Formats: sequence, structure tokens, C-alpha cells
Amino acid sequence: MSDVLNKDLRRLIVDMTVAGRDGHIPSAFSIIDIVTFLYDNVLKFDAKNPENPERDYFILSKGHGCLALYVNLFRHGFITRHDIDNFCKKGGILGEHPDATKVPGAEASTGSLGHGLSFAVGVAMGHKIRKMNNRHFVLIGDGESHEGTVWEAAHVAANQKLKDLCVIVDWNQSGMQLLPMDMIPAKWEAFGWHTQTIDGHDLMQIENALQAVADKKIDQPSVIVAKTVKGKGVPMIEGHGMWHHRIPNDEEYALIMEALK
Amino acid sequence: MSTSSKNMRQEFADTMLEVGTRDEELVVVVGDISHGILQPFAKACPERYFNIGILEPTMMSLGAGMAKVGLKPVLHTIAPFIIERSFEQIKLDFCYHQLGGNIISVGSAFDYSNLGCTHHCYSDFALLKTLPNTEVLYPASALEFNALFKQTYRNDKVTYFRLPGRMHSLKFNKDDISLGKGILVEKGDDLSVVATGPHLDTAMEIRQKLAAEGKSAEIIYIHTVRPLDEELIVQSVAKTGNVIVIEEHMRSGGLGDDVLRAISALPETRFYSASIPDRFVTGYGTYDELLESVGLTCDQIIEKLSW
Repeated sequence: MSDVLNKDLRRLIVDMTVAGRDGHIPSAFSIIDIVTFLYDNVLKFDAKNPENPERDYFILSKGHGCLALYVNLFRHGFITRHDIDNFCKKGGILGEHPDATKVPGAEASTGSLGHGLSFAVGVAMGHKIRKMNNRHFVLIGDGESHEGTVWEAAHVAANQKLKDLCVIVDWNQSGMQLLPMDMIPAKWEAFGWHTQTIDGHDLMQIENALQAVADKKIDQPSVIVAKTVKGKGVPMIEGHGMWHHRIPNDEEYALIMEALK
Repeated sequence: MSTSSKNMRQEFADTMLEVGTRDEELVVVVGDISHGILQPFAKACPERYFNIGILEPTMMSLGAGMAKVGLKPVLHTIAPFIIERSFEQIKLDFCYHQLGGNIISVGSAFDYSNLGCTHHCYSDFALLKTLPNTEVLYPASALEFNALFKQTYRNDKVTYFRLPGRMHSLKFNKDDISLGKGILVEKGDDLSVVATGPHLDTAMEIRQKLAAEGKSAEIIYIHTVRPLDEELIVQSVAKTGNVIVIEEHMRSGGLGDDVLRAISALPETRFYSASIPDRFVTGYGTYDELLESVGLTCDQIIEKLSW
């Protein structure tokens, strides 16, 4: 497993799930590498002033992947160890979907799928009206992409030429379980988006794709379709089985942590 | 300048121009409705006018996104699409985020009579009243819309304006119009009539006919369904002991329910809700014919009163 990135954050995600007695580990593992790269290398933010009007926006539209967001907000100082320790506990601010009214750095309260991109389109249009240059990154799921609003928003964003909007699709094959004809890159191309397809767990590919987004000269919005593995990093939980929303028991916890050593 | 002779949609367009040319944070987004009449605003403020497409849920969400960066969005199309179809977007993207915005509909109740149930909406008061941080307004004269919009559009609430096709015929002064305040139009001792929308005229007609029988009706006009002026209503009903509420809304969840709750502590009070029965309005014909089909004419309402 030497190729697995962010093992420390994956371990923290597992610990939070066990302590909080709730959580979607595989959904977080499929996006943790991209989210971490964004926070470490791309996004402009000020953890001491999360509402800084010049910040870049990251909106996690597939809210059930929130553990990947929380651990990054923690390591960059938006939230505290106390917050992490109180995940899904009475009095805590971190639940199983991000709540923008409670969590510093969470831009939108998501969970009901198909809202984040439309909301982000409005934020991007608003910044364009205000003649500001904020960038906007929205992470959506491939299952979430069954929602019609995703395509409403894609249509609007392309027509409004929202060049500072970048969607990342977590293409972990969840959607294909139900609707197997799921050629996601072709759909985005048809909607007029600057489209790239990468391995969402490969650091160089993530970096190159985001650099290409920064370098593009056209006014169209961008999409990075990231081929990912649900549960990436721990073979026993990878894929689409019972681990979607399961808390490891003691024995399973030991095996998961062994895989993430 | 606003005049009370304009129809509601024209006043909407004129108010957008009036406010939008002096407030650079006002943004108007429409779903291919009123596009022609809004051209003066579109030409004056082209960077803040969007005929966005026919995609009401996303129109609602992107309005919330604009509010997130401090703009004051106005979202406009036909009532069932902007309220019923987009309800979860209003609930989560606006209300849960505590973001303010303005939703302005045409196609009140069954104004689009011949277009059938797809284009009717008589559940909007009920739906929006279930959401925290909303205001529900039903201005039925041009002056009311202009005044109420200016009073509310920058606040941090989701403010819904239901614009009727037919206005009432009374003339108010601008100073009479205040968010959350009902208007005591006529004083009376025997019966309180609480009316909203164009049915202020129905209430006045009822008053006239009852006067011929020696009864005096007190007329209260409500342009703000939420927050409701309960104090004015309770004071009146405490005096008269009888109340009718007239509204173009489904009985369940309408203004009548709120009035009933407000007066529940009063002893020996009689109440009648003149409203749309809890069923679909399926007939065709004129607006007036549909009013009759649901029992909302003056004579039908009087007939229901055994008191």
C-alpha cells in the first residue's frame, strides 16, 4: 500500500468514525487526496478570517464525504481538536454533513444532493457581478450527478462563461450501480465545459489537472472527472458494499489501521 | 413614480428599475417570465439582469449563492414553479443558510385559469410559512408592492411577494403600508371580515349587503400574511364575536388557520373560512367563473353565514 496518500488523514477519519459512532469512511477516502491537495496547494483562504471576501470557495456538494473536509479544516486551523473529538456528539459542531452555520470554513450546508453546484454558480455569478476574481471549486459525486439540478447548473455555468468555476466529479462508480450508462466526461464536454479525466488518487495527475485549469485561456468553466476508488487505501472496505455507512468493530479497526500504517 | 392604476407586473418592473438603478446590489433573475416588461431594467443594469433559463430549482439555489456574496437577489417566475418545484432549494439554500432574498411570483392561485392545475398555486402561503426566516406578502395594489418591496428587499429574510392578476380597487396612501401591519379599512360591530389580495373588494361588497340587513361589518385588509398582525385581528374579533377570512388559498395552511389560532383564546367566537377547498381546481373558464366554482363570490360567502 505504499502508493496510498494521506494515510495520516485516513487514520484520523477512521478514528473520528469510531469515536463518533457514525460516518461514511469510504466516501471520504475516495476524495481525501483531491481535497487535501486543494487545501495544501491551491485554495486561497484565511483560517483566522474564514469570511475573507477575497478567499477561494470550496463547496463539498456530496456532503456525506464531509470527514475529508473536516480533517483538512482541522489541519489548517479552521476548527480545533475539540471539534474533531466531538464529531457527531452532543454539543459538537461537526455532523455527518457539513453545516455552514456551525463550521468555520464550510461554505455550504450540503447533504441533500444536487444543491452545491447550483449554489456555487450563484456565488460565481455574484463575484463576476462584483468584478472579483475569487475561484470556486465544487466537489460533486457521480451518484449525485443523477440529480437534474447538476445539469441545470452545468448548463447555466457554461452559458454564463463562469471561467473561475471548477467542478471535480468524484467518479467512484457509485452512480453506475444504478444507471450503468454513465459516460460522465462526454456529458460535461457536451455541456461545453473544459473537461479533463484523471486518476483521483495520483498526486501528479491531480496537480497537472489543476494547473491546466489555472492555465486555460478560454472562458468556459472547468471540470475534472476524477476516477476514484470508494474506500481507497484499505482493500477490505473498497467498493460498494456494506462499508458505505458502517462503523468498524475492534477487529476491523485493527485491520484498517494495519492497512494504513 | 408608482401609481395605483398600474397592474402588478408593471409595478414590479418599474420598481426594479427604480430601486435597481440606485442600488448596485440588486440583481434580477427571471425564468423567461416578464422578460419583455423588464427590458428597461435589463438595459439600465445589464450586468445585473439574467433571463437565466427554465430551471427553477437552480434559479433558486443560484439566487442564494448571490446572497452569499452580499447581493440582493430577486427571483421571478410563475408561482407553482418558483415555490412548489423549488421548495427544497428555498428551505436549504436560502432559509437554512439564513440568507436573504426576494421571490416574486405571478400566476396567483388560479389566475392562469385556463392553463389548468400545472399553472395553479394555492399552497404557497402554507409552504412558506413552514420555513423559518420567511415573510409572505400578498400586495394587491401597485402602491403596496412598491412600498413593501422597498421596506423589505435588503433585509435578511426570504421575502415572498405573490402578485395577483386582479387588484383590489381601494386606494391607500403610501404611509398606510407597513410590513406586518394590517389595515383597518372600515369599522363595524357585528362581524369582522379579514380579507387578503383582491378579496378586499369582496369584503367591501359583503359589508354593503349586510348593511342592508342592519348589520355592520368591520373590514381588515391583510397584505402581510407573515408576520401576521394578530393584534389588530384579535381586537376586532373580541369586539364583534364573528369573523370571516377570505383568501385565494387552500383552506389548509392558509391565512384562515392563522386567524383561527390567533383568536382561539376568545370566548364564543364564530369563524368561517372562505377559501379554496382542499382539492384541485380542475375546471376551465374565466377567473370569475373559477372563483364561483370554489365558493369565493360575495353571495356564496354570505349564504354560508347563518349568523
